Amino acid sequence: MFYYYFICKRKLWYFRNEIQMESNSEAVEIGKLIDEKSYKRDRKHIMINETINIDFMRNRKVIHEIKKSDSMEEASIWQVKYYIYYLKKHGVEDIKAILDYPKLKKRVDVELNKDDEEEIEKILLEIEKIVRDQKMPSIIDSKICKKCSYYELCYI
Amino acid sequence: MKNTYYLLKNGELRRKDNNLIVKACDGSEKVIPIETVKEIYIMGEVNVNSKLMTFLSQNSIILHFFNYYGFYSGSYYPKEKLVSGSLLVKQVEHYRSKEKRVELAREVLKSASYNIKRNLRYYNERGRDLEDEIKTIKNLRKHLDRQNEINELMGVEGNIREGYYRAWNKIVNQDINFEKRVKHPPDNMINSLLSYVNSLVYTTVLSEIYHTQLNPTISFLHEPSTKRFSLSLDIAEIFKPILGERMIFSLLNKNMINEDSFEKEMNSLYLKDSARKVILQKYDSRLKQRIRHKVLKKNVSYRYLIRLECYKIIKHILGEKNYEGFKIWW
Amino acid sequence: MYVILVYDVKLDSAIGQKVLRNVYKICKKYMYHIQNSTFEGELSRAQIVKLRYELDEYIRKDKDSIIIFKSRNERWLDKEFWGLEDDKTSNFF
Repeated sequence: MFYYYFICKRKLWYFRNEIQMESNSEAVEIGKLIDEKSYKRDRKHIMINETINIDFMRNRKVIHEIKKSDSMEEASIWQVKYYIYYLKKHGVEDIKAILDYPKLKKRVDVELNKDDEEEIEKILLEIEKIVRDQKMPSIIDSKICKKCSYYELCYI
Repeated sequence: MKNTYYLLKNGELRRKDNNLIVKACDGSEKVIPIETVKEIYIMGEVNVNSKLMTFLSQNSIILHFFNYYGFYSGSYYPKEKLVSGSLLVKQVEHYRSKEKRVELAREVLKSASYNIKRNLRYYNERGRDLEDEIKTIKNLRKHLDRQNEINELMGVEGNIREGYYRAWNKIVNQDINFEKRVKHPPDNMINSLLSYVNSLVYTTVLSEIYHTQLNPTISFLHEPSTKRFSLSLDIAEIFKPILGERMIFSLLNKNMINEDSFEKEMNSLYLKDSARKVILQKYDSRLKQRIRHKVLKKNVSYRYLIRLECYKIIKHILGEKNYEGFKIWW
Repeated sequence: MYVILVYDVKLDSAIGQKVLRNVYKICKKYMYHIQNSTFEGELSRAQIVKLRYELDEYIRKDKDSIIIFKSRNERWLDKEFWGLEDDKTSNFF
């Protein structure tokens, strides 16, 4: 959800208003398969309160988030910062996060500071405003649209 | 790639090794790779059990059943995977508000009748003189804009179809003697063909609706849920001319279907098994035919045009973009 | 994509038998079994990835071999039957 906020607010709106897509986008489906496969031995997909969906955790202190490419790095960083924030609000302190790019053999460490927390709170309010709006945000008309599973719904 | 399967033989459809297997009464059998199945048409007498149904449900596969005479008997519509409460509420609102309902119903008929007119024009350009019929339909289409009651719209639609059907005697180069639509039971070749082909279009539309959040029972042109998934009836109106009727003309004019394709029983005509197979094969390849979509700028199948129609209705219902029905653009 | 898959599983032990059985069962979910150790069918790129991951669970990299031939479209592949003709890939039955 936090990720969608940075990538496409329209997708965020659809998603939160329960218009979800069967993955008719090949890119999305392949991405999902790669992440299922890559970290088989770790505990995967920890869904907490139907709100955050952590790819997996190691040592009870480090959240891992798997991504196919680093082209959306900023969004990914905010996504995991939000996870840390959320856990902190629920009494789980001192959590760190790592972005994993198995295909690129790259990892990025992420931590949460005071400024980030304020920023997250602002964004959360903004998200609520967006999804409650009767009118959905407009199309972003970007080159990433063609690979999105919402492409046909958005552009028809 | 998900495909449609057509089971024409009598026998049994079972789950085996997390896969599907058909065992026909004649001893032959076929494995259907589960990952490749979108829907299954059961045209013969086939036994199924609840273990199979559960498995199909897990894989979001719809079954369409037809009886001995080739009449549609019903579909197994598995538990829905895509549900949106907020969309459903709005879909209902578009039925409850007369103004909103009429707006959608009218657009359905406008695109359906446009596609009918397009069929006539196609044959007019190929040596049939259909100028009068085209003119009549053009005028009737204008009436659609003036009607503000569902039954009035339906009335205009009836008149359009009447004029359209009259033209069939000129389009088809066999002696079909087609006067009017008779359904229960079909009394001549054309009526029998129409019943069969319309039920194919209806079931295809139903399968596409299943893969969206739309509720198949809440419709706008037809009265909701009188016996059938009536939203499917609505959307089928738009696609009958291109998927069904154009195919019927071609089957008849190429003599792939003729008098010998039917069996007479009492006062009705039924399609023979062999003829049903000819139609299904033609229909299947028609659904797979691809066309360049001018808005999406990519190739889409005729079948996918139906899915896109569902998306347009969703956008209309959500108040994003006014619904404009599909009109043949090529 | 139109795919032809052939496999060769080494039957050196009970494990080999098990691998063979599983490879066969997995392939059967995605494609038509047209001859011994040979499958054929239309698959999306995602389905090919999925199939591969499923097979990777079982095959022994040093013993078993799987080859797939891919063609962007079935039309670009001429297929002839020499001898018995059997339309196993049809969606009609």
